[in-house]
Amino acid sequence: MNAVLTLARREMAATFDSPIAYIAGSVFLVVTGLLFFFGYDGSADFFAAREATLRPLFEYAPWTLAIILPAVTMRLVAEEKKSGTLELLVTLPVSDLQIVLGKLLGAFGFLAVTLAVTAIFPLMIASVGNPDLGAVIGGYVGLLLIGTAFLALGLLTSTWTHNQIVAFIIGLLLCVFFWTATDALLKLAFDRPPVALELLSFRTQFDAFAKGVIDIRNVVYFLSVSAVAVVASTYSLQSRHWK
Amino acid sequence: MTQSSSPQTQGAATVIAVRDLVKQYDTKTALAGVSFDVHAGEIMGLLGPNGAGKSTTMKILTTFLTATSGAVTVDGHDAQVDPIKVREILGYLPESTPLYADMVVWDYLRYVGAMRNYPKAELDKRVAEAIRMVGLQEYVGFQISQLSKGYRQRVGLAQALLHNPKVLILDEPTSGLDPNQIIEIRNLIRELGKSHTIILSSHNLAEVRQVCDRVVIIHRGKVVADGTLDELEGRLASSHPIVVGLQLANGTSKTDAAAQLQSLAGVTKALVSHEAQTPVAHTIFEVEAQDDLRAQVAAWAAKQGHVVLELRRKSMDLEGIFQTLTQDAQA
Repeated sequence: MNAVLTLARREMAATFDSPIAYIAGSVFLVVTGLLFFFGYDGSADFFAAREATLRPLFEYAPWTLAIILPAVTMRLVAEEKKSGTLELLVTLPVSDLQIVLGKLLGAFGFLAVTLAVTAIFPLMIASVGNPDLGAVIGGYVGLLLIGTAFLALGLLTSTWTHNQIVAFIIGLLLCVFFWTATDALLKLAFDRPPVALELLSFRTQFDAFAKGVIDIRNVVYFLSVSAVAVVASTYSLQSRHWK
Repeated sequence: MTQSSSPQTQGAATVIAVRDLVKQYDTKTALAGVSFDVHAGEIMGLLGPNGAGKSTTMKILTTFLTATSGAVTVDGHDAQVDPIKVREILGYLPESTPLYADMVVWDYLRYVGAMRNYPKAELDKRVAEAIRMVGLQEYVGFQISQLSKGYRQRVGLAQALLHNPKVLILDEPTSGLDPNQIIEIRNLIRELGKSHTIILSSHNLAEVRQVCDRVVIIHRGKVVADGTLDELEGRLASSHPIVVGLQLANGTSKTDAAAQLQSLAGVTKALVSHEAQTPVAHTIFEVEAQDDLRAQVAAWAAKQGHVVLELRRKSMDLEGIFQTLTQDAQA
């Protein structure tokens, strides 16, 4: 466990040492800020709305996360593969799973810090109105969960290559696919998509969170996706043995 | 979690045992059955030309890779069965010293120590000790990217010996350094050898001669020699290759001359190497003998009317040594 935390600390420091973190963080804050103040179609804007709600923010923030988080995770393993430091890392007395978890946790630190900064929006609402605290908490829990799933997918793509750009692009495609393309494809393929397939869509699973509802099934879903990506990343790291 | 706890067993116990290691990358065979032992307190030199399998052997020893077949045990622990234990016993400096360039020396070494599970109080002591051992005291606050190659190498050594490992594995520790740095790092390795078992790889025979007690030579994925330097040089001394450049007398063909050279007493092999065009066109022969036959060859050439343009001992470059040893092994 110590090794996981040590690695997470190093990864988080390295993330915040690079300009990518600040670019990604700024993009997220600007986009969520725009969503917050003006809504997604300009109609439900903060200044005119009678409702003290963060729903537009929660509904569209996953879009932004799907784009910025692969940029944060792209270096996690790819950079170490390229520079050769991976060889030193995996020959320390730690397991490959610990390495994957440490790296994911470090990236999660970035996500948590970035989301914490957006707390300014609910605070603004609270100063002028009376927001539903439950809805705010539900939305944030949802963003943390879907963000973790995106991070885990991004980490997985980073283990596939020593090229960070390749890791980013594949990670981006994977995240956007799970967020929205599954939905769109299902609608194209079926008049009434089977529920089982619909449940694969991040969007379907995130819906309740955006409405402020924490449903344990949605929680389990995002944790399961993250766990699968973690296991796949561990296998990917181990694949050096049988190549 | 220190490794010094396991008692030093008998005087020269086998610390590392490598048995019939085979490593197949797709279609390429990197190792074709490598076996050797390393005993406690030894500095063992793993010698071989580029691509011979030195790094692959080391990567398997350090559990970075798994052998296709064969076994490695380090201090009694099988590298495949219990890799974490083996990693605790080893300190490893990979080829070309990969380090996190963006980290400060002190922070980097603390990070490595924390990954090795040292408690906080002991961690700072261990880092300070490692820094003292490699002579990095004045550079603890530098970012690794600011250091010269020689000092980066010291950081690499410091991370390898931070946990006072029983065994150090150093992959080409002096490659890419300037001559002064090479001497410093060699002295450091010799110093470390007093308290550690070390395997170092090199393609430089002189380096191995200066630093190592024993040599294992790998060529094309096989061990072609294993012994002390004295034993090895004894085997090499039995061969004295010389190079002869002749402007042949009129009427003598290259093959005739080679045949005549071959028939000189003591010559084991003589062949035409190539024709040199400048400054004067002449033919180069390579002659192998059990003794230094330069005087006899010169006398023979004078008698035959050949003009000697070149006559020298062939320096034993590494490739030549391997060839000699491989031929030995086949004979």
